[in-house]
Amino acid sequence: MVLSAKNFVADPQFVIPCIIAPFIFTMVSLFFIVSSSSNNVGASALLAAVLGGGLMGVWGTTVYGSANSIGFDRWNGTMEATLAAPSPLIWIVLGRVLWNTFIGVINGFIVLGIGMTWFRVGVGLLNPGLFVLATILTYVSMSSFGLMLSTVYVLSRKGGFIENSMEIPVYIATGTSFAVALLPFYALPISFIIGPTWGIEAIKRAAVGTAYAYGPLLPTGYWTDIAFMLVATLAYFALSFILFQRVETIAKKNGTIEEY
Amino acid sequence: MTVATEEEKQPEKTLAEKETLAKKVALFYRVFSGSVLFGRKGTILWDSWEMWIMQIFITPPAEMAFFFLLAIAVYHDLTQAQFTVIGNAVQSMSFAAVFAVANITSQDKWQGTLQTLIVTPANRMALFIGRAMFQIFMSALITAAAFIYADFVFGINFAHANYLALGIAIVLTSVMMISFGLLISSIGLFMRTAMIVANIFLFLTMLVSGVNFPVQALPLWLQPVGWAIPMTYGVLAARGAIMGASVLSLGTILLKELIDGITVLFVGYFLMKGFERLARKSGRLEEY
Amino acid sequence: MQVVEEPESAKSREEFAIEVRDLRREYVTRSFFGKSSKVTEALAGVTFDVKKGELFGLIGPNGAGKTTTIKILTTLLTPTSGRAFVMGLDVNRQIYEIRKRIGIVFGGERGLYNRVTAVENMKYFSDLYGVDPGISRKRIPELIHLVGLEGRENDKVEKYSRGMKQRLHIAKALVNDPELVFLDEPTIGLDPAGARDIREMIREMEKWGKTILLTTHYMFEADELCRRIAVISKGKIVALDTPSGLKKLVKDISVVELQTYGATESFVEKLKSLNDVIRVVADLDSERQFVKIQTPNAADVLTKVTQVADGVKIIDKSIKEPTLEDAYLRLVEE
Repeated sequence: MVLSAKNFVADPQFVIPCIIAPFIFTMVSLFFIVSSSSNNVGASALLAAVLGGGLMGVWGTTVYGSANSIGFDRWNGTMEATLAAPSPLIWIVLGRVLWNTFIGVINGFIVLGIGMTWFRVGVGLLNPGLFVLATILTYVSMSSFGLMLSTVYVLSRKGGFIENSMEIPVYIATGTSFAVALLPFYALPISFIIGPTWGIEAIKRAAVGTAYAYGPLLPTGYWTDIAFMLVATLAYFALSFILFQRVETIAKKNGTIEEY
Repeated sequence: MTVATEEEKQPEKTLAEKETLAKKVALFYRVFSGSVLFGRKGTILWDSWEMWIMQIFITPPAEMAFFFLLAIAVYHDLTQAQFTVIGNAVQSMSFAAVFAVANITSQDKWQGTLQTLIVTPANRMALFIGRAMFQIFMSALITAAAFIYADFVFGINFAHANYLALGIAIVLTSVMMISFGLLISSIGLFMRTAMIVANIFLFLTMLVSGVNFPVQALPLWLQPVGWAIPMTYGVLAARGAIMGASVLSLGTILLKELIDGITVLFVGYFLMKGFERLARKSGRLEEY
Repeated sequence: MQVVEEPESAKSREEFAIEVRDLRREYVTRSFFGKSSKVTEALAGVTFDVKKGELFGLIGPNGAGKTTTIKILTTLLTPTSGRAFVMGLDVNRQIYEIRKRIGIVFGGERGLYNRVTAVENMKYFSDLYGVDPGISRKRIPELIHLVGLEGRENDKVEKYSRGMKQRLHIAKALVNDPELVFLDEPTIGLDPAGARDIREMIREMEKWGKTILLTTHYMFEADELCRRIAVISKGKIVALDTPSGLKKLVKDISVVELQTYGATESFVEKLKSLNDVIRVVADLDSERQFVKIQTPNAADVLTKVTQVADGVKIIDKSIKEPTLEDAYLRLVEE
């Protein structure tokens, strides 16, 4: 299961594109911060920015990767073989999504590392323990989100379009680089129901202490963030489970799996 | 422009093999016009309506919004934020003008048509620019759409804008940016990493071309990279045009862009010739 | 190896479409970090000529150097050493002139623009070859007729069957009215009817006076079509003759053909150990198996076959004249 995913992910042609946008976006935000910091914005803003970049790296690979691992199946005509495999589709896809997200984490660390070296950002985490916990849970949450997204892709090749066009909106909506509070009010519900938004908030809280994403909008704390994220994540898993069952039946019935 | 450099090395030429200049021009034009027509039809990239929607209606405003909001968050200043909006509006052409152009060769590689193209006697410059013409059109279209978002979504003040100068800046930059598409395509003849380079180029200009902050803010060693890319001048010209600068007063910037673009085009062309020769030597033409 | 003679007289250039002299090609493969490198010799000194208007075959196992030879002659690859002339033009130096005068068909489905029609494909390549529009307007329908794609010429190529794509490949290769056409495995992967159609077209092209260089895997195809055949093995030409000339190489043997039921490896081994058996070729994959035994003493072998059958049911047995394939196997394996 993981091996088949490896075939696809190990190819630099697929991995590198996922890291470029997060990297450039992070660089630009670091340049912004440095140029505005005549009044000394300080290390925490820089750290928050590189962390945001790292999270974009994970996000990009999750969203783009989970879409394309299935798109890859379509290309190669192995979609049917995957569907015909004895294990339920959801486990196969979950394996791939987890793997992609894991590659995303590595991507994230690369962005983080370059950003930190270039701009000499310190690693002073406020609460390393909580930081690690939030990071792991956010990883799971992002995977569950990717899993849910991939149902679209099993059904139709249009899924690739949806997922590819989601990349930058997702960076914006989940507050990777700047506070969600800046968004127009009608966009806020969207970012609230995306689980990783809360995780990103929790990670930044554990790292630099300030309530970053929502600002004054929702004065929540670390554990409320985690709780919100867990609820969302469980909901994604449940929804994915239901969707996959339906999708599998529909796909087999309509034969839409064959059109590449 | 000569049709083939190889030809010059021929020890002796019979009369029949010699081509008059007029015939060469006619040949160049046939390859070019044939490629223009084929550029739209033969390119898979713009075949799906989703791609049109994504590249015109989703990606440009999303990228503009990202940097707009980022600037607001960091600077708490609308002028700074609007600075990025104009830059990113011009930058949105990268997909069509560079990525899509590089993708033409890459597509030829994986559908196996590259070999059949290479064995034709067609002039590479005519072939390449002809095929890229449709992408130039798309590039200008996407950028024009992006400026509409700049006006209606991000509140850029167009009251003093010189539309002629803005139009010229957009079209010129669209044309000149394909030089990098050619450059990446040349790399693609020999190396499989071309699409990675194309992907990098899709976003690189956001950092080095004065799109989000002036080139002068870059570290010194990175500034020449910015000035080597025609878009850097295009962004400057577009900002000037929106403030009301005339074509004449933007003349120096536009001329620099022209010279830069043509230089890169020739570098790409000779690189393509060189890589073609290298590929013939190593036998790596159809690998990817 | 033959003595290499330089083709220099103007007369020889007029007579030959292809002249190849001691052609060599090495591939260097480097490891990832470029530290170690491996040199593979794809062509180890190949010499042959193809006369104008001749239908010439190049046969050999995979990796023998057929495609490398074609690539060099079509200016896609430079030789490591040796010389080659196409229509009297040097493949190393007169690339542009050569490209104008040749046509190439690569086997397989790839190499066409799938999103456009057959006519659009042909029109585009006409432009790239600099064919006058007035001429191509007349020529394209003629070629469509030759390859039997009338009625479908305005359909997108992605809707074509494998065989139709291959026929379009041939039509496309002729848009510049080339004097010399290279056909690299043109029938590979086609069903028998499709392959027969392609062979018919090749004959038609020969009638038009085209010089044709054909590579193929199928011996009967080479036998049926080619005037002369070069057998290439391990980068060298091991024989060059007419089909009947090549068959004379194995005139001392005949072939016992068996159709069996239940034949196994051990049965084949037993056949091999019989007296006078030179070579056994068996296809054991299908329900009924076909076994060919090359031997100078067919009658004797035929009687012994039943003795070693041991449970294998022999449905049919016969003695055949050796074919080009038998000659080929001997040449390639020895």
